[in-house]
Amino acid sequence: MKYKPYLYLAPALLVLTIFFLGGLVFALLQSFGYFPVLGLTQFTLKYYLLVVKQKEFMASLTFTLYIAFVSTFLSTIIAIYLANYMVNLKQKNKVIDFMYKLPIAVPHIVAALMIVFLISQGGFLARIFINLGVINESGQFPPVFYSRNAIGIITIYMWKEIPFITLMIYTVMKNIHGKLNDVAATLKASPWQVFFQVTLPLSMPSIISASAIVFAFSFGAFEIPFLLGATYPKALPVWAYYNYISPDLYNRPIAMVITIILTSVCVMLVGLYYLFMKKYLRQWG
Amino acid sequence: MGVSMDKKQLVHKIIVMIFFILLMSPFLILLLWAFSKVWTAGSIFPHDWGLRGWQYILNPQNKILSVIGTSIFLSLAVTLVATIISIPAGKALGLYDFPGKNIVEILVLAPIIIPPITIGMGIHVIFIKYGLVDTFLGVLLIHLVVVMPYGIRIFASVYKAMGLKWEEQSKILKANNWQRFIYVTLPFLKPGLITSGILMFNVSFSQYFLTFLIGGGKIVTLPLVLFPYINSGDRVIGSVISLIFILIALIFMFIIERVITDPKQKSSYYYL
Repeated sequence: MKYKPYLYLAPALLVLTIFFLGGLVFALLQSFGYFPVLGLTQFTLKYYLLVVKQKEFMASLTFTLYIAFVSTFLSTIIAIYLANYMVNLKQKNKVIDFMYKLPIAVPHIVAALMIVFLISQGGFLARIFINLGVINESGQFPPVFYSRNAIGIITIYMWKEIPFITLMIYTVMKNIHGKLNDVAATLKASPWQVFFQVTLPLSMPSIISASAIVFAFSFGAFEIPFLLGATYPKALPVWAYYNYISPDLYNRPIAMVITIILTSVCVMLVGLYYLFMKKYLRQWG
Repeated sequence: MGVSMDKKQLVHKIIVMIFFILLMSPFLILLLWAFSKVWTAGSIFPHDWGLRGWQYILNPQNKILSVIGTSIFLSLAVTLVATIISIPAGKALGLYDFPGKNIVEILVLAPIIIPPITIGMGIHVIFIKYGLVDTFLGVLLIHLVVVMPYGIRIFASVYKAMGLKWEEQSKILKANNWQRFIYVTLPFLKPGLITSGILMFNVSFSQYFLTFLIGGGKIVTLPLVLFPYINSGDRVIGSVISLIFILIALIFMFIIERVITDPKQKSSYYYL
C-alpha cells in the first residue's frame, strides 16, 4: 500500500520532471556555457560576468522589478478593499459578482489591446481631451506606452490582477465573515476594528499567496513589455528574448544567463515574502 | 453617528462605482471598434457602423476560423489530459503522507512561480532534437506544464476536504474501484472540476510565448494572430478577434458550469 501515492503521482511527476525540470536544468547548463551543439562543453562563469557588467543589466532589472512591484502592490490593496466591500454587502450583488469576474476570463493580450485603445495617444481618452480642447493634438497626450514610466503596462496588469486577487480572497473572507464578524459585532467592535483585527489577519494567508502568484507572473511576463515597453531599458524577459533570437548563436548562453537571473530573483523574492509574512503573521496572531 | 455612517457608506459606494466603470470601460471601447466602419483619428465616436471586421473573420481566405478551431481543440485537449493526470496526483497529495511529499509539493508549485520563458527557452533545444518543435504534440506537452499545477493543487484541496472516510465506507459496502470513483468520489470532485477546468482552459487558451516558441509558427492559435494588432494594424479587425476570444472563453465557462453543475455549490471555487 505504501507505493500507492507514488503510483498516483507518477504521470504528473513524469511530465513535470521531463518538461519542467528538464527545461530549468537545460537553461542552467546553457547559462554556464555548456552548449554542445556549438561545441561548447566547458563550464564557465564568463557569460554571467558579461551580463552583470552591462549597463543595461541593472536598468533592466530595476525596470522589471518596478513594474511587478507597483502593479502587484496597487492591485492587492484595491482587491482587499473591494473584497471587503463585497463581503459587507447585505445581500450578494449579482451585477457586481458578474462584473468583477469578467476580466479573469479575458486573456492578457486582449486586455492589452483594449487598454491601448483606451489610454494610448490615439486612444479614446486622448480623443475626449482633444474634443474638450484640453489638448490640441494626440501627441500632447502623456505617453503611457513605450515609456519608462510604464504606466500603460502597469494599468494592463492591474486590470487583470485586481479581479484575480479579489476572487481568491473574497471566498476566504466570506467564510470568516459568516463565522466571526457577528461575534465581533456583538462585542461592539467598529467596522474598522472588525476589518483590521478579524477579517484582515485571518484572510492574510490567501492575500499572501494571491499576491505572490501575481508578482511572479508580472515579473516573468514577456508579451506585454515586449509589445508596449520602452526600447531602453527593456524588461528582463524581453532582453533575454532578443538575445535568444539573435542570429549569433553565441548569444544563446547570454539569454540563458538573463532568464536564470530572472528566475533566481523571482524565486528569492517570493520565498523571502513568504518567510517575512509568516513571521509577521505569527506576531500578529 | 447614524448620519456619518450613511455618509461613509455612500463614499464607499461611489468609490466602488467608479472602480467598476473603469473596469468595464475597455469592453465598451472594444464593442465600439468591433462594429464601426469609419472612425477617424481625433473623433470620439465612429462616423459609421458596419460589419467589416466580421466579414474579414468569416472569409475563409483569412484563415481566422481555422485558427479558432485549432485554439479551441488545443486547449480542450490540454485541459482534458491535464485533468486526467491531475486528479490522481491531487489525491496523492491530499490524502496521503509519504516520504518526499514536501519536494513533490514544491515541484507542483514551481511552474506557477518560475517564468515560462525560462522553461521554454531551456527545453527548446531538446524539443528540436526530438522533433517536437512545430508539432501539435509539442505544444500540448509544454502547455501541460503550465496548466497542471493549478489542477493538482485544486484537486489536492478537494481530496483533503473529503478525507478517506467516504472511500473506506464504500469499500466496506464492497463497491469496486470504478463504482467508488463514479458514485462516491466524483460528486465531491465536481466543484473542483469546474474551477480547474475553467482555469486550465483559460491559461492554455491565452498562452502566447510557449505556443509561439514551440509551435514555431506552424501551430497558430488566437493569441498569435492577435499579437500584431496590439500596437499596429487594423483596429476594427483586432477588436473583432478580441471579442471572439472573450466570447469563447465565456461560453466555455458557461458550458462547463452547466455540464458539471452541483446545485448546492455553484462556481466561485478557486482553490490555490
